[in-house]
Amino acid sequence: MQSIYILFLLTSLLSLLLYKKPLFAQKIGFGLACLISLYAAVFFFSNLHETLMWKLPGNFITAPTFRLDSLGMFFSFLISLIAFAVSLYSFEYVKFYEKKANLAVFASLFNAFILSMLLVVASDGVFSFMLLWEIMTLLSALLILFNDGKGAAKNVMVYLGIAQIGAFCLMVALLIMASFAGSFEFSAFSKLNISFGMNLTLFVLLLIGFGSKAGMFPFHVWLPMAYCQSPSNASALMSGVMIKVALFAFIKFALFLPQTVQFGYILLFFGTLSCVFGVLYAVVSNDYKASIAYSSCENVGIIFLGLGAAFYGLGAHIPSLAVLGFIAALFHIVNHAVFKSLLFMLSGNIFTATLTRDMDALGGLHKKMPITSVIFFVAALSICALPPLNGFASEWVTYKAMLLGGMEPSVMSRFLFVLAVIALAVGGALAVMAFSKVYGAVFLGLPRDEKSYENAQEVSNIMLTPLWILATFCVGLGIFMGDVIDVLSKIVLSFIPATSFNQNEFISMPMVILVMLLCAIVPFVLLYLLKSNNKTVRITDPWACGFIYNNNMQIGSNSFTGDIRRALSFILRYESEITIDGYFSKAVYKRKIHDFFWDKLYEPIIRLVMLIADKIGIFQNGRTNFYAGYILVYLCMVLIFAYYYL
Amino acid sequence: MSYFYLFLQLISAILVAPLFDGIARKLRAKYQSRIGPSIFQTYRDLYKLLKRGRTKSHSTSFIYQIAPYLMFATTAAMFCALPITYESYSIFARFSDIFVIIYLGALFRFTFIISGFDTANPFAGVGSSREATIGFYSEAVAICCLIVVMLGAGSSNIPLIAAIIRDGNYGYFVPSYAIASTAFLWVMYVETGRKPYDLAEAEQELQEGVLGEYCGKDLAIIDVALMLKQFSMLGFFLILFEPWHFNNPILSLLLFLAEIGFLYVFAIFIDNFGPRFTMGKWMKLTMLFPLSIASIALMLYIIGV
Repeated sequence: MQSIYILFLLTSLLSLLLYKKPLFAQKIGFGLACLISLYAAVFFFSNLHETLMWKLPGNFITAPTFRLDSLGMFFSFLISLIAFAVSLYSFEYVKFYEKKANLAVFASLFNAFILSMLLVVASDGVFSFMLLWEIMTLLSALLILFNDGKGAAKNVMVYLGIAQIGAFCLMVALLIMASFAGSFEFSAFSKLNISFGMNLTLFVLLLIGFGSKAGMFPFHVWLPMAYCQSPSNASALMSGVMIKVALFAFIKFALFLPQTVQFGYILLFFGTLSCVFGVLYAVVSNDYKASIAYSSCENVGIIFLGLGAAFYGLGAHIPSLAVLGFIAALFHIVNHAVFKSLLFMLSGNIFTATLTRDMDALGGLHKKMPITSVIFFVAALSICALPPLNGFASEWVTYKAMLLGGMEPSVMSRFLFVLAVIALAVGGALAVMAFSKVYGAVFLGLPRDEKSYENAQEVSNIMLTPLWILATFCVGLGIFMGDVIDVLSKIVLSFIPATSFNQNEFISMPMVILVMLLCAIVPFVLLYLLKSNNKTVRITDPWACGFIYNNNMQIGSNSFTGDIRRALSFILRYESEITIDGYFSKAVYKRKIHDFFWDKLYEPIIRLVMLIADKIGIFQNGRTNFYAGYILVYLCMVLIFAYYYL
Repeated sequence: MSYFYLFLQLISAILVAPLFDGIARKLRAKYQSRIGPSIFQTYRDLYKLLKRGRTKSHSTSFIYQIAPYLMFATTAAMFCALPITYESYSIFARFSDIFVIIYLGALFRFTFIISGFDTANPFAGVGSSREATIGFYSEAVAICCLIVVMLGAGSSNIPLIAAIIRDGNYGYFVPSYAIASTAFLWVMYVETGRKPYDLAEAEQELQEGVLGEYCGKDLAIIDVALMLKQFSMLGFFLILFEPWHFNNPILSLLLFLAEIGFLYVFAIFIDNFGPRFTMGKWMKLTMLFPLSIASIALMLYIIGV
């Protein structure tokens, strides 16, 4: 097993050493990454139900141990699977950044990033975990910066800022847990003897720490900023697996705490909020990459709902609910990893072909990029949770868990579970709106801007291969829902002892597909029996009530959401600006959506910090004698402190 | 045998739906002091459409080709998910689930919206937008009502819920269920796409506007699919809130079709009552009524009445 980690490290170093020959290094770096992660995926999947551990030799500050149990194996498998697809995609894709950056460094960072994620999942001590966690954050921030441009610094700073808030909370929580356990090894954490208040505090700290990384609702603001900024392969990796690493760590640490039902309530509450608000901004966004990024927030919300049911089940001693909740969460984690990384890679295809992210300037791309379009169609269907694809399968299990929880006698749990179901359903309706809009505005209809349309062309076959693979996963994970749940239930039962699980009451996905296929045959039979007219179709312009048709008459992404924006204007703030000069010139219409929570929550904090930084700046005036004075004052204070208190 | 009955259920709905549509049209005409078409007019319309040649916009892609069949498959599957000719021990019971119906409805909406985008027709686009917004409104209310039923009966499996209600273990004596039925009927009416929420046969930017570029046999298939959708929506209400049936599948099918026909035809009395609502103002306001009714039902469930 160690060989996987060492190979990633070596590939990373090798591609860095080859920095004089970036094109060669890029081939070596991504090619090897692809092979190693394929090997790793096979390895982790075949050892799914075993526990492996290894120690780092040598003289480190502590002697870090690494340990993979069933859950860790599962997440390592997921990381390697997505890393395989993304590195195969990057093999060609990064050439787009050839002029902007050194591809050798890109390949090196890419490998190091995968390695850091795998190590975070495996690490078994507080120090190594925190160190690797921060390294993972830093590497992802560097990957974002490869697409340097206007506003890049701000986006990365927001990402790092939120990540630091999270890391701070994590550090505090882990140190408290370590002090109660009397050891920095996670294996000693399992029986913590702590008061109820401390228990809840630790849980909230963990939730902030990992939730901020996962893109949970009040911390979701970095998602669109970071993902839109970064190259598409990096955002595929970040959204596909990095936020799953945060979720893994959250599950792992929250299970160490003594369980109470309040854990479930907190998770359900934040899951509900993420679900609705995430997808709301996905609907109104005019940037397809931002839409995909915001929908990450929704999906993390769905995963948190599953986890909420699970932790509620653990707290209230209903093992069947706990098992169902964990299965729902893990299933959605797999599915989200698959279709979200797929969507980000597809957005990379669109961007390399058209060089724009504005949906009001796109359209009709299906004719130029038919394969990308078909794969996007599959991915959109599966992210909208439409049957018979994988998104539906996992949302169905989540619903099942919510229903089981909603039948509890206590009013509080009923209320939260019912809210969660409503959020899921409304989120589903809005996701349909968001992704039908993205698909329709980008691929269908006629081009709205000739300039970006003309140069568009289908990407190479190497880039399309991983997309096909992931699209197959989207379909397969849906059809073989029963088998997937079997595998997941074994993992879940490994850490929830003394329960059993069967899926007699689950829907059977093959039956859904069978009925749909049979129904799809009916119209053909009817048409044949009634001898319909099968003459070739005449091609015309679209009907425009007698006016000469113009491509700008089509509905755009902006006008499509007009009604819903007006209906929800109490929560969605937007400014429209119309400039008309003269009768014959074109009117210019601009719209800016404000993220309510950015304006109300983050702006004031940032302004306050800026103000404080401004005031502190007085001390840092660049005169050496002042600095010597500070040191003198500090020394005196230390002496006084030591004299009186030590 | 169960496959045969399911097939019978679907085919009978396809055959009968145009008749009910014709009766509704005739009745609507009488109501407006017109003579109106014969009650078999819808059959003739569909037949004529099948024989017509087709034109399509030069913007269209594969979506235009597959959309009619996808819509038909979706709505037909929705109708098959209603346990009329089968019960909880049948092999189809694991397919007949409330969430399957809801998400098949979402699939239908998705197809509908993107086919509007695909034709590049300005009115089709507006119709798509409208369809999506109505979907957002109605899904919220529908799920509120359905949660009450699902949690009350303890399952999302429709044959199981219907059996529990028939056995008298759950039903109108539970206040939350009774209240939810009102709101659910309201929403299902909205979903059938009639005035005042939508107008199936006029103005181009409305629901049918999405289909503005469809013609010939494609349009005929979509028309049947839309009728099936209306049937499934009304049937969804009937199966959850009025699950009357016989042990003989054929008899239950006949009873069910009669019930649906009754709802379908008599809905024109609401239909003819008022003008169409504008999307921004009245839609929001009128959807607040069923939403508040559904919330009351939910509150009652939560506090355990």
